[in-house]
Amino acid sequence: MKSRIADVTRGASKVFTAALLAGTILSTVNAQPAMAQSTVVVAVSPLGADSNLYWTTTGAFILPSLQTLVGQDPETGKYDNSQLAESWEHNEDFSSWTFRLHPEAKFNDDWGPVTSADVVHSFNLHIGDDAKLSGISQFREISVGAVDDHTVQFDLPAPDPNFLFSHAGRGSLAIYSKAQFDAEGIEGYEAAPAGSGPFRYEGRETGQSITFSTIADHWTGASPEFDEIQFRWVSEPSTRMAMLSAGEAHAVTLPRDLQDDAAEAGETVLASSEGAMQTTMLFTGQFMNPEAEENRDARSYAWADVRVREAMNRALDRDAILEALYGEGVRTLPVYTMDPRFPGYSEEIAARFDEAYGYDPERAMELLEEAGYPDNFENPKIPLVVTSLAGNPEFAQMAELVQAYFDIAGIQTEMREQDWATGNTAIRGFSADFVTPMRNAPVRPSALGVQIFFTSQASPHLDVGDPELNKLGADLVSETDPETRDAMLDQMFTRIFDSYAHLPMATVPASVVVNSDLVEGWTFPGTTSSGLSHFELIDLK
Amino acid sequence: MLRYLLQRGASSLFALLIITVIVFSLSQLSGSPVDALLPDDATQEQIDIFIREWGLDQPLWKQYLTFLGNAVQGDFGVSLKWPGESAMGFVLDRMPATLRLGGLAILITLIIALPLGIAAAVYKGSAIDRIAQGFALLGQSMPNFWLGIVLIWIFSVWLGWLPTSGIGSFAHLILPAIAIAWFQISALARLTRSAMLEVLDAEYIKLARVKGVSEWAVVFKHALRNAAVVPLTYFGILAASILTGSVVIESVYSYPGMGWVAIEAIRGRDFPVVQAVIIAYAVIYMLSNLLVDLLYVIVNPRIKHG
Repeated sequence: MKSRIADVTRGASKVFTAALLAGTILSTVNAQPAMAQSTVVVAVSPLGADSNLYWTTTGAFILPSLQTLVGQDPETGKYDNSQLAESWEHNEDFSSWTFRLHPEAKFNDDWGPVTSADVVHSFNLHIGDDAKLSGISQFREISVGAVDDHTVQFDLPAPDPNFLFSHAGRGSLAIYSKAQFDAEGIEGYEAAPAGSGPFRYEGRETGQSITFSTIADHWTGASPEFDEIQFRWVSEPSTRMAMLSAGEAHAVTLPRDLQDDAAEAGETVLASSEGAMQTTMLFTGQFMNPEAEENRDARSYAWADVRVREAMNRALDRDAILEALYGEGVRTLPVYTMDPRFPGYSEEIAARFDEAYGYDPERAMELLEEAGYPDNFENPKIPLVVTSLAGNPEFAQMAELVQAYFDIAGIQTEMREQDWATGNTAIRGFSADFVTPMRNAPVRPSALGVQIFFTSQASPHLDVGDPELNKLGADLVSETDPETRDAMLDQMFTRIFDSYAHLPMATVPASVVVNSDLVEGWTFPGTTSSGLSHFELIDLK
Repeated sequence: MLRYLLQRGASSLFALLIITVIVFSLSQLSGSPVDALLPDDATQEQIDIFIREWGLDQPLWKQYLTFLGNAVQGDFGVSLKWPGESAMGFVLDRMPATLRLGGLAILITLIIALPLGIAAAVYKGSAIDRIAQGFALLGQSMPNFWLGIVLIWIFSVWLGWLPTSGIGSFAHLILPAIAIAWFQISALARLTRSAMLEVLDAEYIKLARVKGVSEWAVVFKHALRNAAVVPLTYFGILAASILTGSVVIESVYSYPGMGWVAIEAIRGRDFPVVQAVIIAYAVIYMLSNLLVDLLYVIVNPRIKHG
């Protein structure tokens, strides 16, 4: 017996020794150690589309080697001339915009200076049949011309005071080199597009990564303190977190729960300096239309009654919901699409939010009783959409939390699990009869956002059917006087606020978790579609 | 034999046809491609053009026949997530990576499962048997995505021996291969054990022992050859399961094989690639099953006379 035990012990010892030996060999030969400090690795979720031809993607990620016309300040998010346009001006009614390019701007890899011809060439590529960019449809009605080598003019079919947004956060136009296209054709772009940004495109591993090197003496003066930056597409959040902990990545994006775990483990969560996204639960259908057409009649929905809408809003403990969903840096949103960075922001509405929308389940129950809920309603159940959307894993939990609070107040619900596209199909087909999570990212200028989500002007399928809002929306389209526009937006937001036309949730910053041993800080405004930008400002230890 | 082969081939083709119907139907049920493929702010004119170009205004049966006709030629259209890439071409490009990973997983499975199963049967009731049984229980009840993440934390984060994810060196294959093989080791070890136990109890084995045949020859020459029928036939299913079952693990390890393509295409609502990858998997699975049937005929002659 003793000899068998000794055999087993010897065997175990051999196995252990072999494992240690194998481990040592692997760790010295095969293991991928933390990348050298000169290469910064950023691990994020895979993109919706993986291509060097920016216009064939939905615009979630502009290659950092490329530039747009208008930049944004990393701390305030305000438009600035840090990208290709040195200055810009518009005519009186905002229907013609002229951009003056930085005369010293030049493409990398000796493709010459950036000129108006490059802008016009890029614009024409972006409006081609293969374009998938969000917001590109309005570009198709624009005519662009070169005034001189460094001045380019955009003539719009209608006044657009928010045109800069298309060239900044929305990122509707990335500037490619015409000289490269003339020499190499589209294949040149597919292989290695030359850009004018502070990084040079080095290559991509399909579905894996994309790598850029930094440009010494870049024309903007930008001087990243590392030699390369590599973006790794990793779909599993736990794997991204492991990469961070193993020192394989300097920065990763993580869902909220893992951010907390990472912070507990000593990593640092960095938030964008400004809000990157607004979220809400949106009522669908033309529930405020007193004369809704038969096939679009949303008057039978419980939320067609303003008392029910107010009750739904008062039933929500937003502080608790937002704490559970988002944590640090999040702000309560008084009206979806209203933002202090853009014209139309109302301090007065923001100040009234607690009084009008504060958590008050007793008041919610009183309102429901006044409305005769549920007996007086044909459809008393509120269908809440449980869905997920890339970049918004919290949407399902948002619906569940809302349901829990509705339940306390006595509001009946029905959870509808459906994918995002199915919901979109119903909304576009004017057959939606649910309350769905929705996001506004990047945060659009208020005048644009309010038209998209509440009136018939931009997206008729999201029109709530309110004649007053639609009248204001129609007037806003043709109004060019800034003060009058401000006043009109104020009226629109007041109308939305007072009629409880939605369940506003939050303004959320973009966040990234960095390895505390490798990264000191990173300032970015959160104004792009992905929320991340200004990679040249990653500050290493 | 030939007749049997033809019958099996015909039934495989019929199954493939059914799969195309299912793939097509599921694509139809999962929402309109308009919402997946056009930008949020697409105009009605863009939507109309898209519907015409994609034949979405045609009756469903006509759409299916068009799909089937193209599928027969391997034409599933162009990928939406990887613009410019042919859907099936992109899937096939990823196949070598999956074969490498699957091959290593199969190798690990065989190297561990067969000796473990044999040892557990030969030393029935011993510590080895109990360890093998415990391992089998653990292996079959542990979700592989969870195991994959645990392995990353142990070997990449804590010990720093292996990379967390990606592709490139042999080291990148080790953890995902183990995570895939884990379940199969358990299954194959149990099968081998039970098959061996049955055979070891047979009269001819007892006779061999009485005749003084060495224990080594009894186990590996007489018993294993007869007991191998069960694990051998399971091996085909195992190979297909490993190749198709890599979907989750490839995603966890960000390993760009066919499984990873499947997950990414589904996430990106890349209809052409989703359809291509499902058909590719179906073909792999059916070929494996066909191979198993043929092997079974070879090792069990009663089948071909039946």
